[in-house]
Amino acid sequence: MTRPVLIVLIVGAGLAFAPGSAHATENSDDEAAGLFAQGIQALHNGRAGDAINAFEAFADQGGVDATASYDRGLAYALRVHIGAEQPGDLGRAAQGFEEARGLSHDRRTIDDASRALDAVRSEVARRRLRAGQPADVDAGRSLARAVAGLASEEAWAVLCVVASMALAAGLLIRFRVGGPRLRVGGGVTAGVAVPALALAVAMTLAARHDRLELREAVVVAPGVRPTDERGIMLAGATSLPEGALVEVIDERGTSTRVRFGAVDVWVVSTALRALARS
Amino acid sequence: MKWWPVLLAFGLGTGLTHSASADSAPLVQVQVDQSVVGVGDTIHVQLSATSSDAMPGDPRLGATPGFVVRGQNQSSQTQINIGGTATERYTLIVDWLIQADRIGLFSIGPPTVAIHGARYASRSIALRVVAAGRAPARKTQPAPQQSPFGLSPFDPWRGLFPDFGNAPEPAAPPVAVDPKLALDAPRDPVYFLRATTDKAAAVVGEQVTLNVYEYLDISSGSFEREEDHDPQVADFVKHSLIRDDQDAPLVGYASIGGRTWRVNLARRWALFPLQVGDLVIGPMSVTISPAHQRGNGAFKRTSEALHVRVSEPPMARRPPGYALGDVGRFSLRAQVDPRDVPQGGAIGVHVELAGTGSPPSALTPPATDGAEWLPPEIHDELGTVGHDSYGGKRSFDFVVRLKRAGDIQLGQLTWPYWDPEQKKYELARAALGVVHVSPSASAKDQPVASAPDLLPGLPSPHDVLEGTPAARRHWDDSPLFWLAAVLGWPLLLGATMGATAAGKRLTLALRGRATSPAAELRERIAAARQACRGEDARGADAAIARALEAATVASAGVSIRGAIGDQVVRRLESAGVDSGSASRVAELLRECEAARFAPEAVDVAQARERWDRAQQAIRHLERIA
Repeated sequence: MTRPVLIVLIVGAGLAFAPGSAHATENSDDEAAGLFAQGIQALHNGRAGDAINAFEAFADQGGVDATASYDRGLAYALRVHIGAEQPGDLGRAAQGFEEARGLSHDRRTIDDASRALDAVRSEVARRRLRAGQPADVDAGRSLARAVAGLASEEAWAVLCVVASMALAAGLLIRFRVGGPRLRVGGGVTAGVAVPALALAVAMTLAARHDRLELREAVVVAPGVRPTDERGIMLAGATSLPEGALVEVIDERGTSTRVRFGAVDVWVVSTALRALARS
Repeated sequence: MKWWPVLLAFGLGTGLTHSASADSAPLVQVQVDQSVVGVGDTIHVQLSATSSDAMPGDPRLGATPGFVVRGQNQSSQTQINIGGTATERYTLIVDWLIQADRIGLFSIGPPTVAIHGARYASRSIALRVVAAGRAPARKTQPAPQQSPFGLSPFDPWRGLFPDFGNAPEPAAPPVAVDPKLALDAPRDPVYFLRATTDKAAAVVGEQVTLNVYEYLDISSGSFEREEDHDPQVADFVKHSLIRDDQDAPLVGYASIGGRTWRVNLARRWALFPLQVGDLVIGPMSVTISPAHQRGNGAFKRTSEALHVRVSEPPMARRPPGYALGDVGRFSLRAQVDPRDVPQGGAIGVHVELAGTGSPPSALTPPATDGAEWLPPEIHDELGTVGHDSYGGKRSFDFVVRLKRAGDIQLGQLTWPYWDPEQKKYELARAALGVVHVSPSASAKDQPVASAPDLLPGLPSPHDVLEGTPAARRHWDDSPLFWLAAVLGWPLLLGATMGATAAGKRLTLALRGRATSPAAELRERIAAARQACRGEDARGADAAIARALEAATVASAGVSIRGAIGDQVVRRLESAGVDSGSASRVAELLRECEAARFAPEAVDVAQARERWDRAQQAIRHLERIA
């Protein structure tokens, strides 16, 4: 086949397929938007079941959106609210709100999701108390993760660079520039910059690790019993609370190893629903 | 019926004898034409049931271990006795054709019939099956007295007229081979297993039918099974479409490699894939040994392992509420009862999901304000549908508590599924309608605390999508960042200190270069040249003398400053300058000194002439150097 013929064929194929794929993407977007509109309509009309179906179908289509996650959580919560609760509704509501909080950049969505999440977890805690179980639904995060969460990954990165430069300048002044006052100033600057640099590097690494490696999920079934690695129930272990945020450490077969506060256990994978990430 | 007149005539003659024994219990008799048969032989089992109440119906042969039912024929008769008190007599006659498929002693039946819903049985029949061709010669057809009316319903003239040349039946009937069961070659001698599926690719939840056939060379004698191991199907939900605990039914004969093979269906399973991937159906194995030699000469045969490519149904147009694995063809039907109920009362909702496929274990009821759906009771009527499909009916009985008064719209139950035949999603739905809930004083009086307001104060929905968050690069994803952040300070410090040291070194070098003899010579030459252009002869001579002194330092490495008389020549000669050049330099210096300090005025032209000679001397010194 000669080169011009080949070029013509390639260009022709490109022209033939490009509109098709664009059309397919457009259709998929339209379908997702249609599902979201159905869900919103059902939610406004109080049809929680239909809203759940629509938002779940939206998620099945691969849709990742903070608003859709928030409204999905709201649909599950609404089903509980109107007395038509299905087992796992509270957990799924909490999952939707947690996901919305993680994905959103809109302050209103974050605030509403946090408020609704508090309501859901309060209800779970109330039920657990009534059943004589510990009421802790939110185990919180580790100290390192909490500190890392004080600033964004970018902020920690900027602090790294600034601390590094300050350390260099301080050392230079301390050892190279004359004048006792300047030398003292340089020494103090270097002394402050060293721990600041160490902290900033550690927090940047932690934030980066969380962004790339951390997988979180929410318990979406009531009374999830912890097991060992072989799937055997742990004697005397307290069940994980529905709606709890857990860190996923490992997955094997139908079991998942999770960390909930200081608790490190295996649970059945179907009792968890992972959080989508941005 | 064509034998009605004859029946009536014979009935009139013989009916009285039977009417004497007639009572409410029916008379059920069974008869076979041979009790010892060879493998592959067919025999007739005839059942006759007579009742004075109603026509017997729904005849069933019962269990047929060791035999396969090949056909069934039936007829009915009604006899009316009009002598004395009028009586009626109903007779059902059924003829089953069964074929022996393995050696042994077997009990057939008992055959049964139903009358007015009650089932009546005759006796079981003991049959012995021997190797093909070893059965005793077949007797002539049984006499027609098997019928209570003294004749066969299948051949009413039999016995009344001589047999017009009917050929005797062969001892072993010819075997018809089925080309669909044929293979290119036998996989193993004597006996082998063959596994097939009806499809190589399916979606999660779609039925894949597994058939395992066993092939036995009919000329190789008879064998007994010693041990079976079922195929491993860990990635599937399995439902057997035939009874695995019974003898494998004969499906036909095949001609393979010039031999005739009997083919039995060992397993027929409906398999429902549980996950996506290339799923494996493990092999089945059977250990058999020659008949009556259990353990001796036993051998094992294994079927092939099969693979099924399992994928998800398409994402496009997937309906809301669809759950992976919901595949088949179903219909949904619902009944709500009662429609009027007092507040706080309950109604029953009976839902039936029927069709082919594996129905879901749960249905999500519609979420309706004021209606609380309690967990349903589930009843199954599932099994083989048609030839090789699994399905049936699963019913869900919900109890729904209605907590507020008024007309409550229950909405509709829906269940989306993927139809693999039509390759599209379908929605089974059943409308539940409206229930009228009348106000109840007792319900009104109940404190609100009995039904707490769950999750009060939920925020309102958000109607606008935020959009998919764009993937962005982070600083710390780049190695340059870590170079700057972690190694930045030592690098910066090192660079600064290095630059400082280099600057110092450069300054020193420049300074050193500025004070070198060569530089000084250049300066002196320039000064002398400048001075010679002017009118100051004394100044010019002084500049020429300084240039000569600088030239001796730069070229010969010896200073002649302050030398007098012959000291100039000696110093230069000791530094390696030839005596001629040394003398010329000494002479020029003397002339310059004399001119500088002469009392009379000095002509500048003479000074310029001395500068010309001095330049020659300087060049000469440079050449020497």
